[in-house]
Amino acid sequence: MATNINFNKILGVKKIAISIKSSSIDPDAQAFITAAAITDPTQQSAINTLVVGLKADNLWTKMKAIYPIVGGTASQHKYNLKDPQDLDSAFRLQFNGGITHSANGMLPNGVNGYANTYFLPSTQIANADSFHFSVYSRTTLGPFVPAFDIGASIITGIDNDDFANAETNAFYFIQYFGSTVVKNGFYSATASFIDPTSLGLYVGNRNSTGNITAYKNGVLKNTGSLGPSGLAYCPMLLMGASVYYPDLYPNPNDWSASVGKRQLAFATIGVGLSNTDNTNLYTLVQAFQTTLSRQV
Amino acid sequence: MIEVGLLTIEQKDLLLGQQYATDSYFNPIQDLDNNWVISTEEIEQNTNENFNWLTNLELIEYKPKEVKIL
Repeated sequence: MATNINFNKILGVKKIAISIKSSSIDPDAQAFITAAAITDPTQQSAINTLVVGLKADNLWTKMKAIYPIVGGTASQHKYNLKDPQDLDSAFRLQFNGGITHSANGMLPNGVNGYANTYFLPSTQIANADSFHFSVYSRTTLGPFVPAFDIGASIITGIDNDDFANAETNAFYFIQYFGSTVVKNGFYSATASFIDPTSLGLYVGNRNSTGNITAYKNGVLKNTGSLGPSGLAYCPMLLMGASVYYPDLYPNPNDWSASVGKRQLAFATIGVGLSNTDNTNLYTLVQAFQTTLSRQV
Repeated sequence: MIEVGLLTIEQKDLLLGQQYATDSYFNPIQDLDNNWVISTEEIEQNTNENFNWLTNLELIEYKPKEVKIL
């Protein structure tokens, strides 16, 4: 709530007006609102409440990128709440291919639509054993539809087109055969769980406790064994996952995109999260979505 | 059945790095038969007058390349 205090004094012939405005909008929320040209008061309030909550729960500093995906257009959805500059280095999204933007989020076409975050895990994550990524999905798919939501993947050990001995250094979510699969590290680092509806907040996590974990709506769904640490050097994508084959292509920029099919309404990338962090994050994100009338 | 717009190699080259709407870039891809194609969303949402010819593209059935999952 804004507070306005006006002092008017007549000093001789001079009238001095002093106006002090105290705004309740968090400065980081305001920076995002300004950059993304968010004019709707409900959306502004939702963003501010989200930022204040993330800070109160000590989640803000654990995030490298936060995508609220609010406003309804590509030009508004592209901004990173943590650094709302229109720069690749600020992890501003670049949208490629067919994507439908709306007040409910961004929906890839499942053919060629995805967003490049420009976030390279190998350079942005200091500790390979402290890493998380999340998405809020508003779409449930059929049981035999592979769909990548976020990720980056390096696949090695390919002999021509023979993948028999291939290994992956991957970080991604995928819904596949009615399950959600989380990879966070090398091939052996996998956590998956039966997931027929694929709606809500998904978090893939790796932390110093020695395991990778998969959360849905703040609830721990499965724990995977911790394989060798590794960080991909191709960019994290949203509504897709980058895939790079160093044995086939010498240039690391020659990655390709495996695309997604689910409508996303929120996403984060950051350091590893605790159980409490996951509970708090879900509470905040679900409140955010509810304020925007797009919760699932 | 998903349909996509069939591109020539020259048309594909024209689209690379170009926006079809504000902050949205064309993304030509190759299908299972190595045809260059773009999605109907890019055709329908295009506001770039330089690419009005997209509405005349032949639409073909989309046959995706196999996704390798490890």
